[in-house]
Amino acid sequence: MIFDPGLVHAPLTPFSPDRRIDFALYERIIAFHLRYGAQALAVPMHVGESVSLTDAERRALIEFAVERAANVPVMAHVSDAGTGIAAALAQHAQRARAAAIIATTPYYWTPPPDMVLQHFSQIGAAVDLPFFVLNAPDDMAGSKINAALAVKLIGKLPNFCGVIDSSLDWQFMTELLTEAGRVRPDFVLIAGNELMVSAGAIGARGMMSALAVIAPKLVSELAVLCHAQKFFEARALQERAAALRQVVKQGGVATLKAAAGIMGRDCGAPRPPLLPLDAAAEKKLAVKLATLPFLTAEPHGW
Amino acid sequence: MRYADAGDRTGPIRYHGPQIARNDKHMQNKFRGVMQSPVTPLKDDFSLDLPTFERLLDFHVRAGAPAISWPHHKGESLNLTIDERKLFAEAAVKVVGGRVPVTIHVSALAVEDTMALARHAQAIGADGILAITPYFWAPTVEAIEAYFTRLCRFIDLPVLSYNSPSYLNGVEITGELMARLIDTLPNFVGVKEASFNSEKFLEISRAALVLRPNFAMLTGVEFLLPSVPLGGVGSYSAAGSICPNLCNELFDTCITGEWAKARELQYKMTRLWHLFKDQYPSSLKGGMVIMGRPVGPTRAPLPTATPERQAYIRAQLEDLGIVATEPHGW
Repeated sequence: MIFDPGLVHAPLTPFSPDRRIDFALYERIIAFHLRYGAQALAVPMHVGESVSLTDAERRALIEFAVERAANVPVMAHVSDAGTGIAAALAQHAQRARAAAIIATTPYYWTPPPDMVLQHFSQIGAAVDLPFFVLNAPDDMAGSKINAALAVKLIGKLPNFCGVIDSSLDWQFMTELLTEAGRVRPDFVLIAGNELMVSAGAIGARGMMSALAVIAPKLVSELAVLCHAQKFFEARALQERAAALRQVVKQGGVATLKAAAGIMGRDCGAPRPPLLPLDAAAEKKLAVKLATLPFLTAEPHGW
Repeated sequence: MRYADAGDRTGPIRYHGPQIARNDKHMQNKFRGVMQSPVTPLKDDFSLDLPTFERLLDFHVRAGAPAISWPHHKGESLNLTIDERKLFAEAAVKVVGGRVPVTIHVSALAVEDTMALARHAQAIGADGILAITPYFWAPTVEAIEAYFTRLCRFIDLPVLSYNSPSYLNGVEITGELMARLIDTLPNFVGVKEASFNSEKFLEISRAALVLRPNFAMLTGVEFLLPSVPLGGVGSYSAAGSICPNLCNELFDTCITGEWAKARELQYKMTRLWHLFKDQYPSSLKGGMVIMGRPVGPTRAPLPTATPERQAYIRAQLEDLGIVATEPHGW
């Protein structure tokens, strides 16, 4: 089973002042991503505050995104602490006509390798959709996967088609493609963020971007160059993306939402327990973003 | 070039002259390419084996090493006395004899020993030194800055820094610190960046190369494919005593942007890295027996590769085609 989504945008989830999902604004966000180069959407990733959504909200969000994205594939993020809950979300995603599912290691349980293998096996087996494992040790308190696990999953799941890697770890990525590629030659590695040059050189075929809501042109141009294997030519753009990432990294989703607002795309505040940036922090962020001259070439507003 | 004791199925050293002469745009810095850091040969009683060390140094130079650096952790640096380190450093400079640059790794548990080793390196005519962030004390950024500042001002030689957060519990050189060091220290010329992480490499390379375009951005082991497109100019070598040809080919294909070929070679190199990373450098010394270049045991607390481990390594090296394509013997 091959699913090679290319440039995947990971949208923010907007909330109204009463903390409900603002679907009207979400529609606008989706339209923005589609207009600015998304070849697929991933909904709702951690940057989309998946962990702060109820089960029903996650389902509603995926249904809404699939409908609004029309022909652009939607990858449904179904991670959860409980294997059964995640598997049920995966089955819902299939019914909702999502194009693929994504799951990371179980939340909270600091799972040993056998537990992770069982978790992924049951989620993957619950659906016929292409299944991607998200490797995000920074988000998951160090919980991560390795190449041996990927090889075991390939043996169990015909629909396990790739890994989205946010670890940025050259050793992991290289070992993964070496080992998984030997048993499944069309195995797909997707860079889990905009640091695409090294991942692309190693063999990543796609890129997932949260920063696309800030700098979609930069992200798109970077993806195009990497797709064309023009890695030397992509270095300058890569350094810009790294600089932007460094500015917005601290503070996570709250900073990203504030940065989107500074770019004229107000996506509201994050949901508790995350706190929005206060006025001073937002001002400081605006000053830092103003030091990145390449942002003037990016769209302001919707 | 083929060695007298190389059997039919072994490969010759494919030596095209020192890599330093390749690719003019990187001529500014002499620390580039896959630089070899020899292991430390020991006799059966664990004492230093000087004649074998001299042979090994000569082998690396003849096999195309663009530079030599000794004793890295792979050379059991921390299991050698300071006097032993000085003795072999002198041998390294003498045997290499100016054919390629020689740097001395001066990191020691006690910073005062590091300073003494640095002065010694200068006195014996080494071309530079390499130093990691201080061990054990979890130094602050300010303490790391003071350390490198003192070290760079203590000698006139080029100084290469060594960033290895995964081995030092997260202690690392930040991009801002790198910029300050480059700004104030003219002999601070490069970094062995061993995080193997895109973000960390970029943080340092973005800070360094804008201030000093010929600053040597090097990776810890041969992860050239992900680093060269970001401004990397080489690495130190883990597996070079086993497969010098692969090291040099991987560098050449990366520098010239032959990505498909580079990927194939990098994958092979990564399998070797994982083979040798387990019980490093004991497995490496075990592998050298198979390649006809025995260098003796490994000092405690590191284990010495057992015959069973050597048999496993042999099977892996045969499977990877290393035995058939790389030089056998000295």
